[in-house]
Amino acid sequence: MKQIIYTEWLKVKNYRTFWAMLLLALIIIPAGNFMVADKFTENLQQLSKLVGNPFSFPDIWLTMASINSYISALFGLLLIILVTNEYTYRTNRQNIIDGWERKHFVYAKLFWLVLLALLTLVVATISAILVGVIYGNKPFSFEGYEYMLYYFLQLVVMLTIALLIGVLVKRAGMAIVLFVAYNMMLDQLLTFLLKRYVGTMGGLLPLQSGDELLPFPLVGKMVATSDHYDTYVYILAMLCYIILGIFLVFRKILKSDL
Amino acid sequence: MPILTLQNISKRYGAVQALAGVSFEVPAGSVFGILGPNGSGKTTLLGIVTDVLKADTGHFTLFDKTPTARERRQIGTLLETPNFYHYLSGYKNLEISAAVKQRGKDDIARVLDICGLTQRQHSAFKTYSLGMKQRLAIAGVLLGDPEVLILDEPTNGLDPAGIAEVRDLVRRLAGTGKTIILASHLLDEVEKVCTHVAILRKGNLLLSGAVNEVISRNDYIEIAAANNHALQSLLLQYPGCTSAELNGGLLKVMFAAQPDAAAINNYCAQQGIWLSHLQLRKKSLETAFLEITNTPAQ
Repeated sequence: MKQIIYTEWLKVKNYRTFWAMLLLALIIIPAGNFMVADKFTENLQQLSKLVGNPFSFPDIWLTMASINSYISALFGLLLIILVTNEYTYRTNRQNIIDGWERKHFVYAKLFWLVLLALLTLVVATISAILVGVIYGNKPFSFEGYEYMLYYFLQLVVMLTIALLIGVLVKRAGMAIVLFVAYNMMLDQLLTFLLKRYVGTMGGLLPLQSGDELLPFPLVGKMVATSDHYDTYVYILAMLCYIILGIFLVFRKILKSDL
Repeated sequence: MPILTLQNISKRYGAVQALAGVSFEVPAGSVFGILGPNGSGKTTLLGIVTDVLKADTGHFTLFDKTPTARERRQIGTLLETPNFYHYLSGYKNLEISAAVKQRGKDDIARVLDICGLTQRQHSAFKTYSLGMKQRLAIAGVLLGDPEVLILDEPTNGLDPAGIAEVRDLVRRLAGTGKTIILASHLLDEVEKVCTHVAILRKGNLLLSGAVNEVISRNDYIEIAAANNHALQSLLLQYPGCTSAELNGGLLKVMFAAQPDAAAINNYCAQQGIWLSHLQLRKKSLETAFLEITNTPAQ
């Protein structure tokens, strides 16, 4: 594994597009957090008396996780680029020819998936702590941190979808279009239709499962949550999607012509 | 120990049978030419051997073992096109190759030098000409000085000087006892270096084995006299003569075995025909190849 990570490092070390996108994606998290906190504190002080300050501990964790979940797609794009580059340059073949097992190629991309997700969690946590300390009015606490873990899990689901699309579609442009379409519209649309015509299980779609656990902070408190499964159901759903996605990626890479 | 053994390898792309039950063996130390026209299945075959393609049926061994990445790491392979990261320099691309092959970086300078890329080693791959890309791919093959090399159309995109350099390189490597598997549709490319050959057409293996055993490349003679017609009928009676064609002012005479020019000269003189021209000629691999590939598939 060390050898694989070292090789992946050599691939991105001098790749400016990668670093620019990573930096952008990571900066957007605290930038978005601070922007929302600043606007809210400035304009909605009356409301905050009513519903409580969403930027104080422990509510801050849910607030930030919920906001962050809107911009996760950037990391998905980054992963898609890392994957489809290999197909564009046909280096996916060369890596195997030169002496990787096919599964090593999957490990290499899973490494990025895990690293990007962990990096995001760390940055989001630090950012939330800073916002909570600056804009909140209660002492620091890890109570309610599980929302951040839901966010992390949702991010892993989304990155798994990105990886799967990248591996199946192979071409960067098409993969990005499909991924963005699914992320921005298809998942919500299907959720809407399913919830309307089938019922609560509409909330079990891959990205929606995470969203169900990350209700919009203020509204979420006011809306009745009768059409809702227990938390563990959504967590299980997400874990299933992750396992299924990774299984499909392995199957594709191990069985098909490269 | 055979380096590569193929057993009944078949591969189909939709309606196209790319390989149909191909079996042969590549002995250690041989320079093994895989010949065939475009689309005959050469690259598919090497793709299967390097695990980028999956055979539908059949199996193969490398170094007498079930092939894994460990075996591939001992082989330098250039398959079809140079595959490198466009945004990285030649040197950095070879760093990646070295990492995948689990070798150190200390060999990079040597292979860049052999392939004449030392000066441009720090330029991005995307700025390279077609010939330079091909040279970098060959440098990648040589990395770590492997004992076995697989070269698929190695002179693609090279200028005449580059082609000559690659041929010279292959010859030198063959001279050091390395096993080289060379796929090509350019016959003069393999004519002088191959000890063994496999000929493919439309996915079928037409023949394989040591060059001298499987391709009859007996010399022929070109001959002329005052009366070529008389000479023609005379030679057709000569033992071992298979054909005598009048071609311009010369007769092209083929034999079942290696012809002996002195004996033929003597024979004609005894029969009262004095030769004005007699020359031994070598049948080119190209002629032999066309004879083989033009016969209908069995």
